[in-house]
This record gives sequence, structure tokens and C-alpha cells, in this order.
Amino acid sequence: METTGRLALPAATAEGTGAHSVAAGSRNDPDAFEAAVGPHYGPLTRRLTVVLGNEHDAEDVAQDAYLRAFRSWDRFDGADVRAWLYTIALRLAFNHVRRRRRWLGILVRTEPAPWTDPSDPDLWGALRGLDGRTRAALLLNVLDGYTHREIAAMFEVPEGTVASWISRGRAALRAELGQR
Amino acid sequence: MDPDDLDSRLAALEARAPGRDDPPELPRSRRRGLLATPLVLAPVLLLALVASAAAGGAVVATLVQSTEGVQNPGQPLEGANLECMTPPEAAAYLAARGFTDVVWQVETGDIEGKAGSTVQVATPPDHGYVVPGAILSDGKLYMVVDQRTGATGGGTCPDLPMP
Repeated sequence: METTGRLALPAATAEGTGAHSVAAGSRNDPDAFEAAVGPHYGPLTRRLTVVLGNEHDAEDVAQDAYLRAFRSWDRFDGADVRAWLYTIALRLAFNHVRRRRRWLGILVRTEPAPWTDPSDPDLWGALRGLDGRTRAALLLNVLDGYTHREIAAMFEVPEGTVASWISRGRAALRAELGQR
Repeated sequence: MDPDDLDSRLAALEARAPGRDDPPELPRSRRRGLLATPLVLAPVLLLALVASAAAGGAVVATLVQSTEGVQNPGQPLEGANLECMTPPEAAAYLAARGFTDVVWQVETGDIEGKAGSTVQVATPPDHGYVVPGAILSDGKLYMVVDQRTGATGGGTCPDLPMP
């Protein structure tokens, strides 16, 4: 599904008219940062929990992303603060997974999630079968409405790669959920 | 499987996922660091005002010029990016350019202001952030070094780990 979401990184693609945009004059002000970025922190940690499959890792990555975003606040293009924050966080999340793989020498596995909807336990089981990038791309597209192009800019991959991830992700979920 | 069904199921799943709504505290040292410089200058400016009243307009002009920020545009250390150096590196850089009379003002404690102290020493400390905004006053160069816990870099090196 190709949707018409708002802009994402890089700034060159930004339209700058979304509900998440920030006035240019407030970019050196920590209070303005908290006002603009703070409301996205809770949804970000929940997104990272689903992407990483682990709430503790999610919280670590979210905190790191938030502080990095603050340090880069004066360089933010002022367009879509949610896309900007999510881009920083998801890139950190994927680096986090790569580090764990490298240093622990094990396959990173998501944990059973006690928080999943008791009425829909199969969905989490099916999502766990997707790799983190596919899961993240699917959620950005389905829940946030970002286009393939915007997601490609966030992950610095070709647009076709994102289209492939989302298509295969949907197909895998359909197959997995259809069998249950 | 209906696509709309998947969308709503994913939304419900994420809504149930645990997460923290309260973001971490932001370090605000850059603000405090910049505020520290005017505090250092307060006695200097007071002296300048007293002297100006006594000696007239020409003296005022001289004193005001003497407290110019030396990293400002057009000043001797414009573009030096001292904030990207360790204090000893900054000291070497300054000495090579003739700034041998340097007062190092070292800020310690934490960024919340707990158990902090400010000392002025003649030798550069081993570590800490060099705060941008060096001031030349009466032939002395005042450099502020931030060693407070939780402090971050400033100026052109905001991501620098604390030296």
C-alpha cells in the first residue's frame, strides 16, 4: 500500500507542512525541544518495543535517541519532528541489534511478549518472524502513513528495497496468520 | 486477511506495548556554560564603569575594547574552535599565538548545580570541556573549563565526549 504520508529525511524531500513541524526560531531552546519532541517519546518507546521485541532495549535506545536528537536540535530542518526522531531511533536500534549479534555471537531473538493482546496472540507470533527492518518499515507505512520513498530516506536504502520489505512482510504475515 | 484488519490489529498491538512517556532529563550545561562567562566578567565590567566615570570617554573605549571576546568575528581567535580541544591542547594552541597569561576557570559539580565549585587556576586542567567564548581582560585571557557531571560539548563540537 502506497500512502501519502508527510515528509521524512533527508531535508531535501521535506514539504514542511505536517502537524509535526517546528518553528525555526525555537531550535536552540531546550524548552522548545521538550515541547516539540517530548510528546513523541512515549509512542517512540512503544514502537521500539515492537521493533526490538524487548522493552528494556527499547527504553535504552529511546533514551539514547532522545539525547542525540537534542544535541542535534540546532541542525534539525524543522519539518517533521516525528520522522526525524524515529529515524535517529530506528537507525540506533538496528545498530544495537548488529552490535548484539557481533559481540554475543548469537542470533538476536525477540522475547515472548506478555503485553500482547490476549485476544490476538498470533499477531505477535507472526511479527516475530519478520526481521527488525521489515517490521519497522511495515509499521511506519501502515500505522504512520509514511510512503515508501520517505521510509527509504529514513533507512538510507533504495525505494524499491522498502517496497520489497513491505510487500514480503505483508505476505509473510498473511501466510503465518492464515495458517493459525 | 483483510488489510484493514491487519492495520487495526497492528495498531492495537503497538498501543499495548510497554513504553515510558516521560523522556530523560536534558543536559542544559551549554546554557549554564554561556551564562558563566558574563558572571566572570561582572567585576571587570564594574571596574570598567568606575574607571570610565573617572577618566572620561577615551578610557571607556579602551576598556570596552579590552574585554572583547577574542573568539568573536574579526578577533584574534576567530575560528580557533577551542571547544574542540582538551584544555592542554587549547593551552598549547594559545601559547603558540602569544596568549601566555591565561586564567583557567574550572567549573565542577553536576549540571543541576549540586556540590559545584568554581576555581581559577594558572595551569590548564587535564580534562573538561573548553567552553567557547574566551575573554581577554587586562591582558589576561579567561578560559572556562566545564568538568561538571552531565556536561556536554558546545560550539562546533557538541558531540565531543568529555576530554
